[in-house]
Amino acid sequence: MRPVSRIGSAGLAFYFWAFVLFLFAPLVVLLIFSVNSSPTPTLPLSGFSTEWFHQAFSNAELTGALVRSVFIALVAAAIATALGIVASLGLMALRGRALSMALTLLLLPLVVPYICLAVGLLILVEVLGSGPSLIAVVLGHCVIVLPFAILVIMPRLRSLDPAMNEAALDLGASSFAALRLITLPLLAPALVSSGIICFVTSFDEFAIASFLAPSGQPTYPVFLYASARTPALLPEVIAVGALIIAGSLLLVMLAEGGRRWAELRLVGANADTESVQSEAEDDQPPATVAMASG
Amino acid sequence: MRRRPGKGALVLPPLLFVVALLGVPVVFIALFSVGLRSNIPGAPVAFSLSNWSDFLTGGGGAFRGRFVYSMEVAVGVSVVTTIAAYPLAYFLSFVARRRTYALLLLLLAPFFTSYLLRVIAWQIILNSSGVVNSLLWGMHLRPQGDPVSWLIYSTFSVSLVLFYTWIPFVSLPIFVVLENMDHALQEAAADLGASRMATFWKVTVPLSLPGVIAGFVFVLIPTTGEFITPLLVGGPNNQLFGNSIQAFFSATPDWNYGSVLAIALIVVVVVLTLLFGRFLQTDLRAEAEPGR
Repeated sequence: MRPVSRIGSAGLAFYFWAFVLFLFAPLVVLLIFSVNSSPTPTLPLSGFSTEWFHQAFSNAELTGALVRSVFIALVAAAIATALGIVASLGLMALRGRALSMALTLLLLPLVVPYICLAVGLLILVEVLGSGPSLIAVVLGHCVIVLPFAILVIMPRLRSLDPAMNEAALDLGASSFAALRLITLPLLAPALVSSGIICFVTSFDEFAIASFLAPSGQPTYPVFLYASARTPALLPEVIAVGALIIAGSLLLVMLAEGGRRWAELRLVGANADTESVQSEAEDDQPPATVAMASG
Repeated sequence: MRRRPGKGALVLPPLLFVVALLGVPVVFIALFSVGLRSNIPGAPVAFSLSNWSDFLTGGGGAFRGRFVYSMEVAVGVSVVTTIAAYPLAYFLSFVARRRTYALLLLLLAPFFTSYLLRVIAWQIILNSSGVVNSLLWGMHLRPQGDPVSWLIYSTFSVSLVLFYTWIPFVSLPIFVVLENMDHALQEAAADLGASRMATFWKVTVPLSLPGVIAGFVFVLIPTTGEFITPLLVGGPNNQLFGNSIQAFFSATPDWNYGSVLAIALIVVVVVLTLLFGRFLQTDLRAEAEPGR
């Protein structure tokens, strides 16, 4: 007997596709209104227009905020991924209580509400006398994305065949050379995933940026929030938003496709059944497991 | 990998990083909450629990009310989201055979687009002259210019957007548990004469509970500290506890009182994590133990 009856399967399929529709509907709404000529997003649609895109990209504040956010996200993703590698290498060598404690501490930023971390960092920069700055935003973002980096890199690190590293050491490589020439290249797919997740999370982060970005230097989400409450700016926000949504959906697809491809290649290179099995097990999008807190 | 004792020390730099930028700020919030520091120049700085007693038992009833409302919304949203997510995970695991991971990615893709943009999209859909209302007017289901009042700036709108935000993500741990389940157990139940329904309720559901609880926690913890959604689609009566904290650090600065609320929120979240943590812990431990 199959676990689900034919009618049950049809019902579940209907439910699933109805949900996909529900999940994508708001995104589609943004895409539609980004090319609607009326300045207020309401039905009936008034006609096709690319005016809002032109306006958005001639709005220096908006493009400035975008550039700022891209820059912050790149730096935060690079730092967090580097720290994630170091942390994962260290965690691999720990066992028992030390491992649990280190892991708990490192993953703690997943649990602490962003609003609390944001006000805490605001207090910290005031106490230190430096005040809000973009550097503070970068550091805050590094803390919240570090757990994602670790959760993506560590499983990959564990799935590597230790014999390869040992072979390098036996053949006279220093442990740093073994890391650089053997471990890091094998980690590449996880490092790319980590970089993308950290980038996307930082790029989208509002709470910390809203407290720590100096006034006059908003990040893109901070600008977005302010504009969403200003009807005159809303069409431009929708236009850029539509581009960002289309871009991030594309990025997700590419990242996942690329990761699959890279892992298939690695499996092919190993070509032993054991690693094929473990790859199949690791087939869950690693990105998502890490996104435990928003 | 060859085990060398010194390698574990590599966790120290990242640990120090987290302690400096998470631990130290939390300590400062705690100091502010008991009056040992103040953001008001010249204000007396001395240990005092007056803000705490005001919040817990005194005149801070408004914040206690806000806290209760927040927890009601968070728990309500978490329960509904988890229940609604179960069939999605079940579909992926038991019905969608070959395309499972492609469909899972389809379900999760919206989660990776900008959170703020998705809330703004809902604002456009739900507002008084928004997509839903103008559609109802266009179809003459409601008189022109008369919007549905509870559609936005209500508990409904806040809950709907939170539900929308988290449901893809909640289906994930449930899916993982269903996927890793030994399907021979279900076959055994069927061989022993159990109907599909009996197998589902007596075998599948109990075995999937760890995933269900993990999913529940995955949405409960972030919604407990939520403050962006109420800002955009909530009315004055639908602001959550996180919004109270935000207000004390921006519009009407009183860092001491705000710190009391922030510490209270951290305590609640930590307690929730400890209560449900072992369900998550097993996952992390399994992940952390070598040669699983």
